Amino acid sequence: MSEKPATNIFSKKPSRQALFETCVSTFFRLATYLVIIAAGYLFVNIAYNGSKAVFTTKAPFINIDFLTQKPQTLHVYEPKEVTTEQQKINAEILSTKAKRNALGSGEKAQRAEYEAHIESLEERYDILDEQRVEGRLMFSDSEYRQLDETPSEELFKYSNYAYSGGGIGPAIIGTCLLVTGSIAIALTLGVLCAVYLSEYSQAGKMLQLIRLSIMNLSGVPSIVFGLFGFGMFVLFFGWGVSMIAGWFTLAIMALPIIITASEESMRAIPKGFREGSLALGASKWTSIRTNVLPYALPGILTSSIMGIARVAGETAPIMFTAAFALRDQLPWEGLKEPTDFFFQGVMALPYHIYVVSAKIPQNEYTRNMQYGAAFVFLFIVGFFALSSIILRVKIRKKYKW
Amino acid sequence: MNRYFHHELHDLRSMLILIAEKANEAGRLAVEGFLSSDLEKTQHAVKLDDEIDALEIAIDRASVRYITLRSPVSSDVRLIFVAIKASHDLERAGDEAHSIAKRTRNILTRDGSVQNKVEIEAMSKLAFGMMKDAINCFLEEDLDLAESIIEQDKEVDRLNKENFKNLSMALRDGGIDPATQIETILISKSIERIADHAKNLAEEVIYLLTGE
Amino acid sequence: MTDENKPIIEIRNFDFAYGDAQALFDINMDIREKEVTSFIGPSGCGKSTFLRCFNRMNDLIDIANIKGGEIKISDINIYDKEVDVIELRKHVGMVFQKSNPFPKSIYDNIAYGLRIQGIKQKSVLDGVVEECLRGAALWDEVKDRLNESALGMSGGQQQRLCIARALAVKPKILLMDEPCSALDPIATAKVEELIHQLKKQYTIIIVTHSMQQAARVSDKTAFFYLGKLIEFGKTDDIFMNPTDPQTEAYISGRFG
Repeated sequence: MSEKPATNIFSKKPSRQALFETCVSTFFRLATYLVIIAAGYLFVNIAYNGSKAVFTTKAPFINIDFLTQKPQTLHVYEPKEVTTEQQKINAEILSTKAKRNALGSGEKAQRAEYEAHIESLEERYDILDEQRVEGRLMFSDSEYRQLDETPSEELFKYSNYAYSGGGIGPAIIGTCLLVTGSIAIALTLGVLCAVYLSEYSQAGKMLQLIRLSIMNLSGVPSIVFGLFGFGMFVLFFGWGVSMIAGWFTLAIMALPIIITASEESMRAIPKGFREGSLALGASKWTSIRTNVLPYALPGILTSSIMGIARVAGETAPIMFTAAFALRDQLPWEGLKEPTDFFFQGVMALPYHIYVVSAKIPQNEYTRNMQYGAAFVFLFIVGFFALSSIILRVKIRKKYKW
Repeated sequence: MNRYFHHELHDLRSMLILIAEKANEAGRLAVEGFLSSDLEKTQHAVKLDDEIDALEIAIDRASVRYITLRSPVSSDVRLIFVAIKASHDLERAGDEAHSIAKRTRNILTRDGSVQNKVEIEAMSKLAFGMMKDAINCFLEEDLDLAESIIEQDKEVDRLNKENFKNLSMALRDGGIDPATQIETILISKSIERIADHAKNLAEEVIYLLTGE
Repeated sequence: MTDENKPIIEIRNFDFAYGDAQALFDINMDIREKEVTSFIGPSGCGKSTFLRCFNRMNDLIDIANIKGGEIKISDINIYDKEVDVIELRKHVGMVFQKSNPFPKSIYDNIAYGLRIQGIKQKSVLDGVVEECLRGAALWDEVKDRLNESALGMSGGQQQRLCIARALAVKPKILLMDEPCSALDPIATAKVEELIHQLKKQYTIIIVTHSMQQAARVSDKTAFFYLGKLIEFGKTDDIFMNPTDPQTEAYISGRFG
């Protein structure tokens, strides 16, 4: 006589509830993967295309010219016979395609013939393209000027493309300067404000109003910031289109993030630290300076990363206030007085990318520059963020709590 | 770890031993006064009884204070409990010694000296031996000694019954003042009670050491 | 001992409120120096509030205010406008319920109080650190790891560190707000032994939820209920024979 085994009261029973739970968790996971894939694709695409401009096959493997030279016009000489033949083939392809499209639905043989013709034409075009790429000559402005004589008009077809030669050196320098200056201003102002809000302010209507204003500031569109900066710093203060105007405009943009995040990190410090140091006879500021701020620093630096991310990538604020599309001199060249350094406009990467992408036609020559600039730009922002993270890690080790 | 208030327990133990020794001394002096017809010794015994009464009040106070302020548990609280009970027993023993001394004085005033000692000496040796042993078994935490004390009490009871028989027969025969005979019977009873108190002490020591 | 010491804190008709809600009503008492006084009472009776009045930690709360009366420490009314709160807090130290060692090294924790006064010489600081750690019965346990983080110590050690830290600025009075409530029995015993040692030099006021602790540790006890001082006297008398029936009800556990 066999007995039924005793049922385990904790055994899992298949149920709709359990199935629903699994579905939900899978859904969340898929959504996350989607985001990661999208971001990954973006980065990989830019990296792939940009690396064509930035990296070279020869040592030192980085295209130094690209990173240091000013943007110059690219003068392109393509072998004329190749380009003329390509044009003819192109025209023929177009006409054949038109004839094919004009055919009725029943004439399959004719259609197949046209398709075969188009295919062979396209093959020929590709071969010619390779010849063209091999035979072409490209000169940046500086190289062009050094030429003793320009290649002959009969053998080569000439075209030039603005901004596609040379490099993006001044833009890199300009962006770095803008980011550094604006974050310095934003951090100073932001931390002072955060200290006031979290330590000195009294709860009440006034405080709520201040908080509301700061929150609203973060929702303002960047173009409005640009206009504000233009009206206030460029026109009213009379600074003109200058780095310092850009600094203050970008600083105001980064302020809400820095203030909120810094205040959060200061509030996270337990009350016991403040009480303990006050009970030992410290004044309020001493207690904050020695026992609260050092431990809030990692949080403040995190906020600076977020601020950098907001500030470095914006085009609209600097469009009117600091950026020039093309500037011949580097920021430290041609200064009459030291203070002039602050009152001059600079080139900036986001604006440069805008100019290069919107103002000049897109083709194989400009694409290098565009993607290259984007890639370098991502890299620079990443570098700022990384250094901030490293700094934060170091400080967290020192002031662990 | 020795806390700063643990010395209060040591003080209590010292007081307990002191009251026990005083009670023993008072009883011994009273009986010696009877046996050697010595009034001075009896007076000494009475004085000791007053000291014993004062000590009992002090022990009570200290015990209540320790319980209130120190919240003792386990062997500490048993010690307090034993201190209260034992001091009460010893105070009664002191009262018995006082009573022996008083009766001895009565006899001596009446008759001049003690005539019939019956088994008083033998009884007193046993009884005060038991008392001394009780103090020792408290100090040494000796369970076996405590058991033997309880056994010895039976012998003291037997001797007391014999005294009663002999003295009540002597009453019939005459010769000695009946009042003196009765006083002597009561003295014998007092010594028997002192032995009972010693037995109680032994039982309390067993409780202290084992919790039973 | 108790009647010879002169009063170091005198409280007269003291009323205290948070905004409109009155927390303390007409408190009158004298606390004598080099004694341990304990405040007992049910939750919310105002004993912690009262303790924090002695070093004006209640100033940190905006709506706290005095409605009347005065607290005099060493004959000076501490709520007088002339009084510098920072100096007061050096004179009256505090140890909190949840031990709050700073996340610095053990050495830096104790030297903190001196450093913020501007004392920097290493020899002076070394001396004070050793003296305070010895005073808190911690020296032997930590003398080899003074530069390690204070957060690596056990709970009982941390609390003793906080006591040592409070002693570094040489206060006359030490306030302790339920210092043992987060500690295990052995750590609690060590802190109580420390208090017994410290009372030779410092006046100590301790707020405690444990009546056994108040009975063990203090010379005088004050019983508070709903912001009023119900009874104040020698610990022996309060626990063995209280005069007020409310006190009797509380200490025998028949409250509520």
